[in-house]
Amino acid sequence: MTQSQTNPHPTPSAASLVSVKDVSMVFPTGTVALQNASLEIAAGEFISLIGPSGCGKTTLLRLLADLIQPTSGSIRVGGKTPEEARKSRAYGYVFQAPTLMEWRTVLQNVMLPLEVMGVPKAEHKPRAERMLALVGLEKFARHYPWQLSGGMQQRVSIARALAFDPQLLFMDEPFGALDEITRENLNLELLRLWRETGKTIIFVTHSIPEAVFLSTRIVVMTPRPGKIETVIPVDLPQPRNFETRETTRFFEIATQVREALRKGHGFDVQE
Amino acid sequence: MARVVHPPRNAPPLWKNEGVRWLVFAVVALSLWEVGARLYNSPFLLPGPSRILEEFLKTPALVLAHAWITTQEIVLGFLLGALVAHLAALLLIVLPEWLEDFIFRAVSTLNSIPFVALASLVVVWLGVGGIGSKVAIAALYAFFALVYFVHKGMVSTDATKEELLTSYSASFVQRVRYLKLPFALPIIFTSLKGAAMAAVNGAIVGELFGAFQGLGFMILDSRYVGNTARVFLAAVFCTVVGWLLLGVLTALERRFVGWHLEMTRKG
Repeated sequence: MTQSQTNPHPTPSAASLVSVKDVSMVFPTGTVALQNASLEIAAGEFISLIGPSGCGKTTLLRLLADLIQPTSGSIRVGGKTPEEARKSRAYGYVFQAPTLMEWRTVLQNVMLPLEVMGVPKAEHKPRAERMLALVGLEKFARHYPWQLSGGMQQRVSIARALAFDPQLLFMDEPFGALDEITRENLNLELLRLWRETGKTIIFVTHSIPEAVFLSTRIVVMTPRPGKIETVIPVDLPQPRNFETRETTRFFEIATQVREALRKGHGFDVQE
Repeated sequence: MARVVHPPRNAPPLWKNEGVRWLVFAVVALSLWEVGARLYNSPFLLPGPSRILEEFLKTPALVLAHAWITTQEIVLGFLLGALVAHLAALLLIVLPEWLEDFIFRAVSTLNSIPFVALASLVVVWLGVGGIGSKVAIAALYAFFALVYFVHKGMVSTDATKEELLTSYSASFVQRVRYLKLPFALPIIFTSLKGAAMAAVNGAIVGELFGAFQGLGFMILDSRYVGNTARVFLAAVFCTVVGWLLLGVLTALERRFVGWHLEMTRKG
């Protein structure tokens, strides 16, 4: 199966939620982490950035989040610069590690962004409790993070990212450290959250099945220098479930992604 | 801060109780001391506990007055030293790197001057009378026991947690309140205990250099007249004050970093 799309980069037009134009990132060491990347993302999409180590997928996510600043090019998030978007609390960020505060209970961890952002105090608890229910952890509100399993901790961090109701969710290999069974369950749960909340999700992964299962479009990236190789639309019907992974179309799209990665010499991708 | 969630646990056996352990220790140690002192039979060199108690009962009000003076010096010095150490640590974090480096060198240089030399100078500057000079010396001791650890604790936060707060656009004060301080608190409490002991030393050293009252003065005064039991009595009171301070700190530690004690116990 070959990739038919010839102009893979910008697709959604006028009303893009995220717009990346010709962005490059060169680190002080001289490493070209990202070269001339362009990408348009519409509201409500689920976008996966996939590629091997060094392809710039995490760099791109960090650029969108204003955790680092590009060497050249322009980025718009909700019509604003990344810095303005960060300051207006436009996005929630889920890191590879759960990054929970060990001295706070699960509930208090989910309340953290509300406290920092000055949300009225009366709303903290009810909102945090609602988010915990959303990820199925309401019974663990009074536990400490280190009393939970890795998968549960990552669900807390997702609840925390959703607590202040940002439009966008940035997720940097959030399930990378988890076992396959837990990961598949959390994938399903994440898709349900995405449908129920209507968020736009940008999701970094190095797993082809995960990207195909979750995404509306897959951004295939390749290393040395890091660049966007192609963008592959995923037309698998929603809602997706465990059977989706067994369909012919699922394998066809996975093959497309694999071939795009090979084309860019991105061999070392987890199957 | 919410309570740690405990798994159901049976009541611990009596010999695991902290109070019981201290009681057993005190009875055994005091008995051995008393027996040893009586066998040695030289009250000038080694008075036993009963001899020391006897000495206390001669002038209880006076001894307690001395102890009270020293206690004030220790507590005020400790609080002052701890406050300044925390402010200094925060200042070091916000200052530009070159200035931070310069100040660190200054602090390290001061720290390598023998404390006794510093203490004698402080007495010269602030005077022999009153508790001011002694409070200052106790504070100095406590400050140096703390400042490195408070600073180190607050700069050792992991980068991802800092980035999380960046993603919230948190202010510096919020960063300290929600991350740096709670993160550093376990190491701060450990150092506060050391600082409390340092403050006890500082107050006594200060009194040895110049005072008309307090346990340090009592030590010097009694030694001149060859009253060894009274020297021991002063030392016992120093220990008691130190323990009381440690007890308060341990209780505060359980209250504020109970999560850490629980987490590390879990392994």
